[in-house]
Amino acid sequence: MDDPSQRLLRRLLRRIPAGNLKTTLEKWGRLTAAQWRTIDFTQTKSSIVQMLAFCAENEFTMKHITELEMMYVIDNPNKGMWYAFQLIDPEADSQSLELTQFKEQFKSHLCELVRNVSVKIKKHTDEAVWIRIAWGDSYSRPNHLKPTYIVHHLQTPYVFVTGLSPKQRPLVSQALVLSSRYHAIKAANLSGRNLTAIRDLLMKQYQQVFPTRFPSPLSERNQSVSNPQIEREHAGHKENRLQMASETFGDGMLPQLQSSVYKLETKFRDRANQTMTEREEPFKCVVKFASTNLLESLKLCVSSGIASTPVTPLLSSIPLKGRNYFVITDNGPAPSSQMPLSQN
Amino acid sequence: MEGLSSKGVLSHLSVLAVQTKSRRNPPQQSTRVKELKAEAEALMMRREQLKAEIQTHKSLQRMRLSMDKGEEEMDEDSENSQLLQLMAKHSQLKDLLYAHHLIGGYDIIKTSLGKGVCVSVTTAYEGVYLDTYNLEIDLKPVLRITRHNVPPFIPLNELAEQNNIQTNIKAFLDVLSQHLNAHAGRKQQLKLVKERFPSVDVMESNVLCSILVLMFTVPRQKTAVLCTLNYSDHTRCLPTTVHIQCEGRTVSTDNQGPPSTVYNPRLCVMSMLSIRTLKHNKFKCPSFIY
Amino acid sequence: MGKRDVQICFRFGSGTPDMERHRSSGARTPLNSALVQRRSRSKSYRLSYRSCLGAASRLGLTPALTARRLNTSRRAPKSHNISEKVSVEQLALLLKKEWKLSYVTPLYRFRHTQMRGYSRQLSAFIAAEKHQGLAVDVEAAQGSFRASFSVIQGMTETDDDAETILIQIHSKSSFPGQDEPQRALWSGWLTCVYGNPEYLNSLPKDFTCLPLFCSSGSEVLTNAVKSWFQLTFDCCFGPLEISHTSLQWLVALWTNCHAECNIQHLKMIWSVPVVPPLQITYTVDGQDAWELWNSLRRDPQEEGEGGKDEEAGSNIDIMEVERFMQGLKGHFYRHFRLDLSAGSLKQVSTALGLAKCNGRMKISNSKYMIATLTLLTECALLKMPM
Repeated sequence: MDDPSQRLLRRLLRRIPAGNLKTTLEKWGRLTAAQWRTIDFTQTKSSIVQMLAFCAENEFTMKHITELEMMYVIDNPNKGMWYAFQLIDPEADSQSLELTQFKEQFKSHLCELVRNVSVKIKKHTDEAVWIRIAWGDSYSRPNHLKPTYIVHHLQTPYVFVTGLSPKQRPLVSQALVLSSRYHAIKAANLSGRNLTAIRDLLMKQYQQVFPTRFPSPLSERNQSVSNPQIEREHAGHKENRLQMASETFGDGMLPQLQSSVYKLETKFRDRANQTMTEREEPFKCVVKFASTNLLESLKLCVSSGIASTPVTPLLSSIPLKGRNYFVITDNGPAPSSQMPLSQN
Repeated sequence: MEGLSSKGVLSHLSVLAVQTKSRRNPPQQSTRVKELKAEAEALMMRREQLKAEIQTHKSLQRMRLSMDKGEEEMDEDSENSQLLQLMAKHSQLKDLLYAHHLIGGYDIIKTSLGKGVCVSVTTAYEGVYLDTYNLEIDLKPVLRITRHNVPPFIPLNELAEQNNIQTNIKAFLDVLSQHLNAHAGRKQQLKLVKERFPSVDVMESNVLCSILVLMFTVPRQKTAVLCTLNYSDHTRCLPTTVHIQCEGRTVSTDNQGPPSTVYNPRLCVMSMLSIRTLKHNKFKCPSFIY
Repeated sequence: MGKRDVQICFRFGSGTPDMERHRSSGARTPLNSALVQRRSRSKSYRLSYRSCLGAASRLGLTPALTARRLNTSRRAPKSHNISEKVSVEQLALLLKKEWKLSYVTPLYRFRHTQMRGYSRQLSAFIAAEKHQGLAVDVEAAQGSFRASFSVIQGMTETDDDAETILIQIHSKSSFPGQDEPQRALWSGWLTCVYGNPEYLNSLPKDFTCLPLFCSSGSEVLTNAVKSWFQLTFDCCFGPLEISHTSLQWLVALWTNCHAECNIQHLKMIWSVPVVPPLQITYTVDGQDAWELWNSLRRDPQEEGEGGKDEEAGSNIDIMEVERFMQGLKGHFYRHFRLDLSAGSLKQVSTALGLAKCNGRMKISNSKYMIATLTLLTECALLKMPM
């Protein structure tokens, strides 16, 4: 085993939590039965030492180690910061793209753009295509310690990326656009540590609520007792708020988005404050909402009345547009990431 | 009532039910008389209705005639106004009918804010209801899809544009429904293959379920068969092209052909049938194929 | 002695600050240095700010002050060139470090002249604690600790304020003779800035009031220092949270400084009680925050007519603070239709400093630290037990 592979393996083994080590290695399936029996998984340190020895013994190459890393990352994707991108303007045949075609083309396009790059592509059981890129340049071999990961579902316009430096972004963009048969790609203004959440949000894989003609279960549950008149009215309001909250943010398990950021550059308007209202310049501020499950928190704000209904487009745009970064200005259409504030 | 607690609520209810039943069934004779009376009344009502209808038709005809002639003013004020009212109602009903025709088959309701409507498109495959998709559409100033749960691999916006949603929402909904139903059907087929034929290996598939590569072994001959189903028409749940590859020789009508052959869909079904007939003991009719 | 309490009230009520005061030479301990036999220790330190004010208002002598309440009006912070009064090295020790706040009841028989003795005593005390196995388990547990007391001269604002004391704990290096400056393992300071003069004057002889205690470093050492103070000066400590109102005061006081010193930004963190909890960080551009604040200040002329202040605009009223908060919340509501009043203000920060509701603060700019410390001194005095 060469030096870089050993370094990567050591780092990887340290990264995998002790509890997960056994199952991950089992899935990897590269150790012989005899080796498997020897490893003592109750001792983290010694098991790592043993693993290093076995991998050297089996003469594993970088290929095998990156395979292990990819498997671990695919199973534990919610680590780094993931950024969503959107492919735009599809070509006619983008919908009938095949995995093998995509694989070949992506690799060849990327290798044309940059020398010394190592690309590994693997399809996960949920139809997602996982791409691992280790970057090098004309003078250095690929650095496997800082790989870029890309997740893409063929036939959809969304791409999720982690560990990509600004320098490499145009290279990846071009290879992606060409191999997935689109014309362009843009940032989707959505990011988070939880890949599943941002994917579910964009792929609409969560339970959305739409108006129905059937009474909601809530009204049946709320059987009023003490003062039927008042209780009914309260229940009516409450139910209405809950319905609005659910229609805006969804129902059931909501995607675990952790934050949303708004850059506001709008006029300060207050009838009682003439000085500020007459001021020409916008009032500049940044607002960040954060929670372990932002959509759930916001939904509760609406259903409990802390946030008024109808829900402001600024908040409802998070699930509706699948975004969590907004630049808000008063004037109409602006650059792609901007969204004018509707004047009520 | 005293027995209530000892006998329980259900038995008490059944006692009450028997009581009401007996109250509802008075002696047969009077029932018969009542029935006849009611029938007579209903018939008389019907006669009145018909008379009114004839009257209306007559006046309508007269009205049309007068309108055709053009000059003859409607001097009989009362009758004409009555007619105009009727005509207005008629056109209103026609509009409603048209509206109903427009949304034909779709569950459509007003959204809570009243700015638009919410349309539901249900999907089904072989009589089994699958996912329901919803679209919230604002009506003013132009039709605009504001919210939906259609997955991103269905090109919703392209479909809306191509079918001219502004003027022909029904065409758009129909095409969308076709896409969604076809996708639901293909997805269901894939699910059924996985469930019912564990010996079949799904080598490849995608989110759109537009490509499906299956691998299975012909039991007696022990040859592996690779079957590639390509659904390039996304509005259908039948494949458009099929590749069948197998070790050594091809399972096809054309024995001289190369190991890999492209079939048209009909041939595909035929070849699948031939596989089925060959292996009916192991491969029970793979129903997903038709 | 029996009528002591009444006398006290009378004294501060009459508001004669120019009373005779004895000073010890060198550092100032603004109390009689003459030793007075204390009648009841426990009773004496319980004589708190609040009870004192309460008694006073019963006598109807301090109409403007009500017990249990922060001042409703305070002087606008002015840029102090504090480095002229306080040594730059000592100031540097107080800046850019996050301090955990506590209140301390008045210290009995504390002398600013005995810093050396206290250093020795505290070092010995910690060594004894460690010997007893009382978990002084920090990085340098092998070596022993060396505590040092020093007076930070010049942090006072009135003659009644006692000089600030700084305590540092270093580990005795196992390799003596190394010149490189040692980083303190633990540091803490006790201060009093603009302490209510009436209260300070009402204290019996031999009591020094340094109500604000700031500590930074291992919790174990903090507790050891607290225990030593309790034993030596018969005082007691308690956690000092920064209330919602105090944080709002800081928002206004700091924003008010922007005219003279760029605050960069005004950052407020709210927590909204939903499940899971929602945290809202609202960061306003410094200049814009100041312009809003300025637009909401009282009309200086109006104030002039009141005739109370010669210096127009030098006083900030709680109403102005509330209007400012309302303005900020209003702008937020207009965009998000979410009422920040439903949540609680947890943290405030600008380029001048940072304050958290759980009683932690950081001072980043020495120029305006006096205003911040004045507010915190007041909070500490209010927090003392009855």
